Amino acid sequence: MPHTATTTSSHLLKKDHLKGFLRKLAKEYRLVAPVRNRHSDVLFTVIDDLDAVEIELCEPPQNSLKQFFLPQQEQISTYTITLEGYDFRPTQTHIPPTVYFGVHPCDLSGVLYMDVVFSRQQRDPFYLRRRQGSVLIGVNCNSPAPNCFCNATGSGPFLEMGSDLQLTDLGDRFLVEAGRTSGHALIERWQGFFSPSADKDRAAHYQTFLEARGRFSRQVHVEQAIRRLEAGTVPDEVFAELSLRCQDCGGCAYLCPTCTCFTISDQQLDATSGQRLRSWDACTFAGFTGMAGGHNPVQAKTGAIRQRFIHKLRDDVRLNGRPSCVGCGRCVSICFGGTDIVRFVERACQGSL
Amino acid sequence: MPQTITDIYLPRQARVKQVVVENSQISTFVLVFSDSQYNEAFRYQPGQFMMVSLPHCGEAPISISSPPTRPGTIHLSVRRAGKLTNAMHGLRVGDSIGLRGPYGRPFPMKQLRERDLLFVAGGIGLAPLRAVINGCLDQRDQFGTITVLYGSRNPSDIAFQDDLALWQKQGVDCRLTVDTAETGWDGAVGLVTSLMDELKPELSRSTALICGPPLMFRAVLGRLTTMGFRDEQVLTTMERHMKCGVGICRHCHMDGKLACVDGPVFSLAELRQLKILELAE
Repeated sequence: MPHTATTTSSHLLKKDHLKGFLRKLAKEYRLVAPVRNRHSDVLFTVIDDLDAVEIELCEPPQNSLKQFFLPQQEQISTYTITLEGYDFRPTQTHIPPTVYFGVHPCDLSGVLYMDVVFSRQQRDPFYLRRRQGSVLIGVNCNSPAPNCFCNATGSGPFLEMGSDLQLTDLGDRFLVEAGRTSGHALIERWQGFFSPSADKDRAAHYQTFLEARGRFSRQVHVEQAIRRLEAGTVPDEVFAELSLRCQDCGGCAYLCPTCTCFTISDQQLDATSGQRLRSWDACTFAGFTGMAGGHNPVQAKTGAIRQRFIHKLRDDVRLNGRPSCVGCGRCVSICFGGTDIVRFVERACQGSL
Repeated sequence: MPQTITDIYLPRQARVKQVVVENSQISTFVLVFSDSQYNEAFRYQPGQFMMVSLPHCGEAPISISSPPTRPGTIHLSVRRAGKLTNAMHGLRVGDSIGLRGPYGRPFPMKQLRERDLLFVAGGIGLAPLRAVINGCLDQRDQFGTITVLYGSRNPSDIAFQDDLALWQKQGVDCRLTVDTAETGWDGAVGLVTSLMDELKPELSRSTALICGPPLMFRAVLGRLTTMGFRDEQVLTTMERHMKCGVGICRHCHMDGKLACVDGPVFSLAELRQLKILELAE
């Protein structure tokens, strides 16, 4: 948790200078930021013309950064069947160096989690190529949205580490903290936009943090649910009950910044060639664990929804010391069956521990 | 400069050198990588699996049924079960397929040294155990007695008959049973557990290795426990749906473990820690 931010060097960026700074960045990088579109939806978008868009830094975007590093569907190889036999060719991905600007702490935590997933067991070439050469510029959350609970997952509302630059909105200016060498380099490179911060700025930063922390409308007892899962005291009926209401739509998994399960399938292009595709998948889908011949080693619904919650709140805590739910609240907004993670935490915590 | 990262998802071409028809549903495909240098250097351990590709069929995990003591070819024994395995049964000598691997935690061969080994299998379940059995036979003096109990549906379904005959000649105690007898069958009829009644294993130096369909699996586990086998003395290999094979896609989840990297070989003691359907009450 941040206190007075004296440990990291901090700078000021006047709001009047933000566009100029982004314009400089956009000359060298592809720029992705939360943009309010003409339907009034806020979405992380590739920005071609800075003057044609409205960047929205307060309202949480509907999508996370997941799609930029793990696209909903991507080609991972192509194959041909010729006289020489059945042969695969690697798919080359050329992703321009990209600045992701205005990333909220939940989504930043999501990217840091994906970094672990795609390099722990094996280094995933497609993810890592997209991640290499990416710059993350975070913005702390001053006013969490109604479904937000990142305070309960240890991933917000303010983050000090993980991004290259971390911004805090102080009204007419941003306090800018450089979390990494790459962040310092950005400030040095375009130092004209930045000025030194004073004690009063750091005090304002701390005050803003305290206010943000007090603005959560939900109390979600994630820690207690984690303890109960680890102790095995969450009754099977909780999963059974939630699975009855799950409509198997996968919306939670698709919107989740940390759901990275995928499937691999072939698409025939013509008689002698095809492409191999990787696509988002969801562990709650009934067919996720189904085997050839029809046998399913996981109890179709109860076991599937149990997997979703034990993975995020028990197994990842065992592996990484923290849950992989980042408290962004997207699944709460999308789930019409009422089987989102907040509902699970509430049910898991009912009764005495 | 961005570093180059090996494409872990890219299959290599291999060719079918031989097809052994084991029964109407199971065949063993003897495979050789087209890149002879790669083929020569390729090594694996019993219990590991390959991700197999066939045109327009995607990939499926298939356990290796040949022993590490016989490098140069990879045996995959495959039962017709779905789209990819059915397509495999259309393969002829010289045809090419895609392979990547080997993946997964193998059987702990070092821990098996000096021990009496009891193999219990049903149907295609003998395939991964065949890799262990032939590996042990190739280093016969390092292991104790070898017993193979094998259950099949009916006499004409008995797969791996060449292996069974050869093992018998090499001093392996092979016992067969069928669910349903046919004319001319004078062997045992009944579940593979019925063959266990006659056994008098020396428990202190025995390890059981089992693989078979879920019902058989549960029955055998129960019988081994009654016989006095401790959970640490029972090894098995789990079958799961997989997409990546390397611990990322999570299709093979088993209550916090992944069959592809934490297994597919597990001791019964390890499995008892997990809430899985195979061991559900």
